[in-house]
Amino acid sequence: MRGSIATSAALHVLVLAWAMISLGSPAHFEVADTEAMPVDIVPVEELTQIQQGDKKAPKAEKAAPAPTKRPDVVENAENLGENSVDLKTPPRPEAKPLEKESSAAPKAAETPVPTPEPTPQDKPELVDEKPPATPATEVAALPTPKAEVTPQPRPEPPKPETKTEAPPPPKEEPEQAEEKPIEKPDAEALPDKVPAPMAKPKVEPKPEPPKPVEQAKATPPAQTAKTPDRKADEGKKDAKKSASAKQSDFNADEISSLLNKQDSSGGGAKRSTQTAALGGKKTTGGSTLSQSDKDAIKQQIQGNWSIIPGIADTAGILIKVTLHLDRDGNIIGQPEISSSGGSDAARRTHEGGVRRAIMKSLPLKGLPPDKYDDWSEMVLNFDPSEMGF
Amino acid sequence: MEQVGLAATTDVTLWSLFMQAGLVVKLVMLGLIGASVWTWAIVVDKSVRFARARKQADNFEQVFWSGQSLEELYRTLSDRNPTGMAAIFVSAMREWKKSFERGARSPIGLQMRIDKAMDVTLAREAEGLEARLGSLATIGSAGPFIGLFGTVVGIMTSFQAIAGSKSTNLAVVAPGIAEALLATAIGLVAAIPAVIAYNKFTADAGKMTARMEGFADEFSAILSRQIDEKMQTRQAAQ
Repeated sequence: MRGSIATSAALHVLVLAWAMISLGSPAHFEVADTEAMPVDIVPVEELTQIQQGDKKAPKAEKAAPAPTKRPDVVENAENLGENSVDLKTPPRPEAKPLEKESSAAPKAAETPVPTPEPTPQDKPELVDEKPPATPATEVAALPTPKAEVTPQPRPEPPKPETKTEAPPPPKEEPEQAEEKPIEKPDAEALPDKVPAPMAKPKVEPKPEPPKPVEQAKATPPAQTAKTPDRKADEGKKDAKKSASAKQSDFNADEISSLLNKQDSSGGGAKRSTQTAALGGKKTTGGSTLSQSDKDAIKQQIQGNWSIIPGIADTAGILIKVTLHLDRDGNIIGQPEISSSGGSDAARRTHEGGVRRAIMKSLPLKGLPPDKYDDWSEMVLNFDPSEMGF
Repeated sequence: MEQVGLAATTDVTLWSLFMQAGLVVKLVMLGLIGASVWTWAIVVDKSVRFARARKQADNFEQVFWSGQSLEELYRTLSDRNPTGMAAIFVSAMREWKKSFERGARSPIGLQMRIDKAMDVTLAREAEGLEARLGSLATIGSAGPFIGLFGTVVGIMTSFQAIAGSKSTNLAVVAPGIAEALLATAIGLVAAIPAVIAYNKFTADAGKMTARMEGFADEFSAILSRQIDEKMQTRQAAQ
């Protein structure tokens, strides 16, 4: 026996040694790192029963945003605001309008400059003037052309006044005249042919009626008219007419007139007529019971409702129960039970069953205390045919 | 306990699992390993013994039925320490010699004495064959339970440690449970061979015993005939 024990022990030592070596730690599972996905459970009443209030207004029983001023009502508007179109974007503060207009106006005044030139009448006159104008400095030549040029392009009625005023300004403006030709030789040369007539009707009506004084400024264009003449001698020969015609479509001076100057606006169109109020303490998360709250209450009562099997004419019976509850979920008075459908006997049986079930399940649990206003009086509808197991 | 805290870094080789285990689980494991050693010792011992007994029985039967004189056979066998069938034969012959040669009167009494002597020897030999098979049965039936006990204790301690560490991460739980399950594994490793060996050796022992009983009955018949013949000759002589 001793020998066999030794044999057995040796055998075990061998097996264990083999197990230690070959049955080492098993291969680890390759586990890919997965990011946990956070899930928030949002009760639907947080979205459906949001109340909009005014932060700065005093507290009141019912929250209300600041009243809007516009009376016209936009249908189906969801976002509060004074807009005529319901937009989700918040309303923008109005931009300062004056600066833009003032900057836009002078440009408009400058634009007429090319206008005189394109008219066919100008050209012959300009040709006559060329010999004297070109040798002399531009400034010296300025006064004479202005008087002649300005009247011709503008046969319109309001201009006669401008003519009288026109002569004095040129002295002040020669500097401008000098600058302009240098800066925009090509641009001014180009309008001669194509764009000017197009631009006239749009641009001129705006600046002329309100600002007669500015028309005096408009007169200087006559000076620029000369400079193109010079270039007309030089440039026209180069036969750049086709190229200049293309460029003429774009007039940097007219961009402002093409721009939509109406400020973009945001804001909704839902009107508010109530006085602004921050809202009371109770209104967080809505004040009415959600469907799940109601189901939870129904479930408590159904759990205690022992349906008596074998009652005929159960189908079609609807039982309506009105409960008055105190804050602990206990009933005040008796439940008011009314029912419809089915036979009288079946109805009476089920009414009794509902009454017992309600009394058994008092006090009702799980009622949100902050919504007591809603569930202090509760109406529950039961359909006995749905209670079957 | 602390092994759970180390769970993330420890490896799970058999040795480390054993070393991580608590005292009770370790004792259970060691006990089960001892039981396994004992089981295999019995298996080895019984295999050798049964093989030898079978061979001796074959040899004896060959000699017995060879027509050799029973007196001579008794003389050669009684010198050695006989086992199995030889032991039964020797005991019967010894009783025969003691009773008949001293002049027994009743043939029935002589027959009964010889049968009793053979029964006693047979029982002794059968007991020798079945010795220690009981411990195989015990290991086979109790081994899994002992292993399960170790597992339960190990899992208990590991859950207590989890309660302490306040983490239910499977990586924290797994090593403790693996270590606890090792106890059940060892229990099964010990119990399964024990059950198989027990069944086999019980059957073998039954066969050997039946063979010896058969021989005893045959030899008893032979002796009975001898007694009758001797009695008749003795009466005739008187």
